Amino acid sequence: MHKKPLSKQIYDARWCYLFVLPCSILTGMFVIYPIGMSWYFSLLDWSGFTKEAKFIGLQNYYEAVNDEFFWDAFIRSFIFMFGTVPVKIVLGFIIAVFLNNQVLKLAPFFRTVIFMPVVTAIAIIGIVMTFVFSPFNGPANKFLMSTNLTSAPIDFLGNPDTVLPTVMGVYVWKWLGITMMYWLAALQTVPQDVYDAAKIDGAEGYRLWIHIILPIVLPFAIVIILVEAVGALNVFPLIETMTAGGPFFSSEVMEIYIFRTAFVTDSGTMPRLGYACAAGVFWGVAVLFITVLQGLWMRRTRRI
Amino acid sequence: MKKKKELKISRRTVMKGALAAGAMMSVGSIPSKLFAGEYNIPDPLKPLPTTGGNMRWIDSGDMKGVFWKKLFPEYAASRGITIEYDGLPWKEINKIVPIAIRNGTVHDVFQLPLGMDPGVAVAEGWVQPWDDYIENIDEWLAAFPSGVYLPGVNQFNGKTYGTCLTANKRTGTCLLYSEKYMSEAGYDPQAGRMTYSEIRDAAKKITKNGNGQYYGWIIGGNQVNRWEDVVHTFGQVGGAHSGRGGFTNRHINFQNGKFQIASDQYMEAVELLLQLKSDGSAFPGVMSMNAPQARALMPQGAAGMIFQGPWCIGVWGRDAPDWKYGIASEPVPDGKEAQPLYIAEGGSNTFWLSANSTMGPFAGDLIRFMGTEQGQIYWAQTVGAADPAVNPDAVAKAGLTGPSAQALAMFAENILVGPNPIVRNKDVGIVAAKSRVPDPSLALVIQGLYTGQLKGVEAQLKDCNQRYEDALDKAVEEARADGANVTRDDWVFPNWDVYSNYGAEKYQEL
Repeated sequence: MHKKPLSKQIYDARWCYLFVLPCSILTGMFVIYPIGMSWYFSLLDWSGFTKEAKFIGLQNYYEAVNDEFFWDAFIRSFIFMFGTVPVKIVLGFIIAVFLNNQVLKLAPFFRTVIFMPVVTAIAIIGIVMTFVFSPFNGPANKFLMSTNLTSAPIDFLGNPDTVLPTVMGVYVWKWLGITMMYWLAALQTVPQDVYDAAKIDGAEGYRLWIHIILPIVLPFAIVIILVEAVGALNVFPLIETMTAGGPFFSSEVMEIYIFRTAFVTDSGTMPRLGYACAAGVFWGVAVLFITVLQGLWMRRTRRI
Repeated sequence: MKKKKELKISRRTVMKGALAAGAMMSVGSIPSKLFAGEYNIPDPLKPLPTTGGNMRWIDSGDMKGVFWKKLFPEYAASRGITIEYDGLPWKEINKIVPIAIRNGTVHDVFQLPLGMDPGVAVAEGWVQPWDDYIENIDEWLAAFPSGVYLPGVNQFNGKTYGTCLTANKRTGTCLLYSEKYMSEAGYDPQAGRMTYSEIRDAAKKITKNGNGQYYGWIIGGNQVNRWEDVVHTFGQVGGAHSGRGGFTNRHINFQNGKFQIASDQYMEAVELLLQLKSDGSAFPGVMSMNAPQARALMPQGAAGMIFQGPWCIGVWGRDAPDWKYGIASEPVPDGKEAQPLYIAEGGSNTFWLSANSTMGPFAGDLIRFMGTEQGQIYWAQTVGAADPAVNPDAVAKAGLTGPSAQALAMFAENILVGPNPIVRNKDVGIVAAKSRVPDPSLALVIQGLYTGQLKGVEAQLKDCNQRYEDALDKAVEEARADGANVTRDDWVFPNWDVYSNYGAEKYQEL
């Protein structure tokens, strides 16, 4: 069959291209252009708001990979991810299983309660949580002391050993509702016939879930893990409002590191937008790499 | 019966009245006396535009904000404009102003981020001179004490780009204490400057008396500059003579041009902080609160002592008028006599006018008024010692009493003017623009030592000192590569007598 020339194909599909155009323009302006510019800026010695910007090649990248604080923040970001995602996935699944039960009449109420933190502004949650975990009259410490679980108040956000787990806990609480919703959506794709057939075959309790339901929702699990993992690497507003990366870098994840170097510090010297862009590009590539790995894993799992 | 005459007001009459009132408000040359308020705002020296407009103003707030919030509505009404005021902590100014400059939305009047070289702001064209907007500016400038307006500091190319209404003769680490707790502990800081041992003992006793309900000492520990400010000032009191200000001044001993971070006095100051912690005298949540939060806990009875600035006076006076507290000078190491503190020449709270601003006539008119004796008296009466008015006569006439008057007297006694390398050589400004505080900074090192994440005070401070030396060397080298005529010798002032002010004649001797 004779193939139409490209120009003709485009002309024939002109309405499709027209409808795609606004989205393409917006994507170009707000995604492609900033990404491109951050790559370019990463090659400059530039504060970000002076006219003077010197091209220095890969020097910013060299400096970043030789900075121990960069790597500390890099590793801390992954600690955050590995510490929160499994908890959210498992907890979210358990809650979804309970709330998916049609017999539970109060399921919509519990669903709403668990989802409520998701729709609350994250900066507000961050600030409120600094009061909740305050060692002086904070409700968390009051509870611990009134139940004799501790004899002295704990400085949850001021102690380098407790700060990251505390922030991770708040993160899990804040976003658990959305994980639960993902799982509910996945569970609702399981046809009732499957449950009925499983029961007839004598599969009940954990056997039903492990051997029947879980394999069905596994592809969803991969997507949920992927979304949660990327989400856990983007926690800037929560950490900035709760600890700003302190004390002494103990909760400084990559986004806080980038922000700190991109702006004037408390010590008051010129910011380094070029360097911050280099750290950001490096970080972006690392996240992309992980996403691709997960994508490959997902594809492999689907084949199985 | 005779019908009583009713007062009828038609909708048209109401609208006419409203229009007339609106027209009056929009006329710029309305005599200010029409607006009876707290302040007697004089008429402008020359007619202002009658087009109105909105003037946006951002500064570091605190007591300044309290004053502006009272004055701005009256001033705006008298000139037929609106004023939008944002008083924010320095941490926010440091973030917001650079972004706003970058995207062209900076406020009409703003403060530069801490430590940023004003020469860069002028060279980059972010600001415009006040000369065209302050009537008779030469006469106006002549009324200020000498040393407030200086080339390279707030004047560039013969024009005034930065205006200062306040003096920088103050410290941010005074001993502020609960009279009740301190007296129960058996100490009276008014009897004389306390020593480190006395501070430690007092903190222990207050904590013991508190029995878990209150503690000896508190600090806003997650605001890292508080650690540095305390150690820096205490180090100076102990005898580590050094400058204040940005990276190219702070911690440098101008007798030899070297950083003082590893000096015995700095180490003693850090040790004091660590001892307050190890004694159990520190408030348990210091690492998770900033300075304003720590300050707010003092009147609530959470702690007996805090090392803070005179800006607490106004805030406590407003928020906790019945709470009894005292203010005293910083403590001194045992067996030593307190040494002077130093400030660089110039004023403080410098206000810059955005290059894009169209509200220059109003901003200039307001700044001019605030620089007059009457404006300065108004300022002093509200702001007090928090940000002392720059005109000493106005301060004297303001009739300050209590802690504000005491703080000002204390600053006058303890603080001298020290050398300022940028006054000696304006190319030091290029070094300032190139300089980067090394990571981790002194502030973070002290925080790390306090939390126990870093070990060994001496080793850490020595490392930190070396980082600062290397950073300054690098900045000087980069500035020289860009054509600046500057060397590390510009930081050496061999004729600096640490017990007297370093004035213009001293610069001429060099």
